Amino acid sequence: MMSLMRAEFRKLSRPLVWGSALTVTCFCVLITWGAANNARGGLTSPRILDVCEQTSTAQCRHVIAAAHATARAAAAATTALAQPGEIGHVAAGMLASLPGLALIALVAGGHWGGEWGLRTIRQLLSRQGRRGMVLAAKWLTIWSAGVATMLACWAVLALAGPLIAAVAGLPSTHAGLLAGLASSAAAIGRAVAVLGLFSAVGTAAGAIGRGQLATTALTAAVFLLALLLAGIATIGKVSPASYVQAWMGFAGNGYLPTNFWSRFGGSGQHLGQLAGLAGMGITAAVAGLAARWRFAADVTV
Amino acid sequence: MIACSELTKRFGSTTAVDRLQLAVGPGLVYGFLGPNGAGKTTTIRMLLGLIGPTSGQIELLGARLPDPRATARTGSMIEEPAFYPWLTGRENLQVLAETGGCRADGPEVARVLGLSGLSGAAAKKVRTYSQGMRQRLGIAAAMLGRPPLLIVDEPTNGLDPSGIRDIRELLRGLAADGTTVFLSSHLLAEVEQVCDRVAVIVRGRLIEEGPPATLGVISRRVVVRVDPADAGAAARLLARWPSTKAADTGAEFVVEHGSGRDVNAALVAGGVIAESVIAEQPGLEDRFLELTQHAAAAQEEDEDDVVDAG
Repeated sequence: MMSLMRAEFRKLSRPLVWGSALTVTCFCVLITWGAANNARGGLTSPRILDVCEQTSTAQCRHVIAAAHATARAAAAATTALAQPGEIGHVAAGMLASLPGLALIALVAGGHWGGEWGLRTIRQLLSRQGRRGMVLAAKWLTIWSAGVATMLACWAVLALAGPLIAAVAGLPSTHAGLLAGLASSAAAIGRAVAVLGLFSAVGTAAGAIGRGQLATTALTAAVFLLALLLAGIATIGKVSPASYVQAWMGFAGNGYLPTNFWSRFGGSGQHLGQLAGLAGMGITAAVAGLAARWRFAADVTV
Repeated sequence: MIACSELTKRFGSTTAVDRLQLAVGPGLVYGFLGPNGAGKTTTIRMLLGLIGPTSGQIELLGARLPDPRATARTGSMIEEPAFYPWLTGRENLQVLAETGGCRADGPEVARVLGLSGLSGAAAKKVRTYSQGMRQRLGIAAAMLGRPPLLIVDEPTNGLDPSGIRDIRELLRGLAADGTTVFLSSHLLAEVEQVCDRVAVIVRGRLIEEGPPATLGVISRRVVVRVDPADAGAAARLLARWPSTKAADTGAEFVVEHGSGRDVNAALVAGGVIAESVIAEQPGLEDRFLELTQHAAAAQEEDEDDVVDAG
C-alpha cells in the first residue's frame, strides 16, 4: 500500500493540482481582503437610516451612535479574525465549503477520472489488481490534496491576514497574534473530516463517471443538489449539505469570510454536531459502496 | 505460463471470445493472430484481469484468475501505451514500478530505459515524446521488474524500421533468457520472424495453432502457365488435384500440391508442355488470409444452419 501511495503522490504533483490549490488559496486571501474592506467601509460610512442623515434628534443621535458602534465591533471582529491564530477559521470554513468542494472536484477529476481519459487505468489495474486498494489510494491522495491546500491556505492567510487588516486601516487588536489558535485548530480538524467526505464522493464519482469531466461534474453536482435539498424544510435535514453545516457549526446567516455554504441552505443548524458527523459518515460509506460496486465492472477503455 | 480453458466473453448478445482453448509454454514467443474484431484484445484484457470472463477459466503463471498477484507479476503493454504526460519518461516508469509494488530504484529503471533505447530521453516529459518513443517506453514499462511473462499488443506500432528490428531482437533475447512473450499482432511478417508458435483466432474462436511454418491448410502450391491453346487439356490433366483453380485468363492454374515436378510430369505425360511451372512456398500472410476466410465462411454457414434449424 505504501508503494502504491508513493506512486499516487508522484502522479498528484501536476499543474492541474497546483493550479487548483493556488486558485483556492488566492480566493481565501481575496475573501479576507474583501471582508477587511467591507469592515473599513463600515467604519467610514456606517449604515444609518436615511431619515436620520439630515436630522439631529435625540433618537437619531442614538441610531447614529449605535451604527458606529456596530461598525466598530465588526471592524474589531474582522481584525481579530485576521490574526494568525484566528484566521484558521477562514481556511477551515473555505475548504469545508464550496471552494473546497470545487478543489476536490477538480483534483478528483484530474487525478482519478483522468486515469480513464488518458487510458492509464489499464496500466494501473494490470499492475495493481486489488481494486479496493486502488480506490483507497485514490481517496487518500485526493483527501491529502485538500488537507494540504487547507494548511497552505492557513499559512498564507496567517502571513497575509495581519497585513490586510493593517492596510485596510482596521483598528489594532488587543488579542495576541496566536489568540484563537485552539479553536482554529479545532475548526481545521472538523474541516479535515468534511474534506474526507468530499473526497469519498469524488472517488465514487470517478468510479462511476470514468472520465475527467464526468468525475468533476458528478462530484460538484452531488453537493450542489445536496445544498438545494438542504433548503427544503421537509427533507433538508437528511441532506449531506445539512450534515456538513451541522458538523462545521456554520452559522445560519452565512457570515462570508468563514464559510461559503450556509447561505445556500439552513437545515443544518437544527442538527447537532454529532448528528452531522454521523450523517457525513453514512454519506461517505454509501459513496464507498457505490464506488466498489461500479469499479468492479469491466475496464474496456 | 498461460492456460485458457473454454474461455468465453459475451457483451450483450455479441460473443467476443468463444470457448477459447490456449496453452502457452515457458520460454516461447507466442504469436496471437487474428483480423480486427477477432477477440484478441478482449482475450488480453481477460488475461490481465481488466475484464472478467463470462465463463471458462484462465491460469496465469500457475495461478487461477482472478489473482492480482499473478497479473502484477506479468509485464504488459496493451494497444497504444498510455502514460502521464506531465511526468518524464523516468518518472512514469517509477510510478508504474511503485504501482506494482516492485523496485523503482535507479538501476532497474535505468536498465529498462537502456534496453528500450530511451536513456537519452528519460528526463523529457512524455508529452514531448513521438509515438515511437511512447511505444519504446511501453516496452520498457512492460519489462520492469523482470516479469516471467510479457503480454504485448502490437509492440512495433509507430516504430521506424531500425526500431522494429530492435524490438524484435529484444523480444527474442528476452525469450532466450527464459521470459515467455505473448505477442498479439496483425503484422504477419513480424509474427513469422519472431514467434515460435502462433494461434489464429477468428470471431472469438481458435481456428489454428502451431509453429508458423506449418500453420494452415496449404503447405505449398504450384503455379502453372500454359499456352492458351492447351488450356482445356491442361485443365483436364490438372483436375486430378481437386483444389486446382484456374486464373481468369484460363491459361494459368494454381495447384495445391507440394511438388512442381509431379505437376509437370502429369502435364508432359498428357502431351502438354507448360510455359512455366513454379513451386511456391506461401508466406504466413497467404496462409493467414486463407485460414481466416475459411473460418469466417464456415462460421457463417454454421450460423445459417442454426437459423434454418430454428
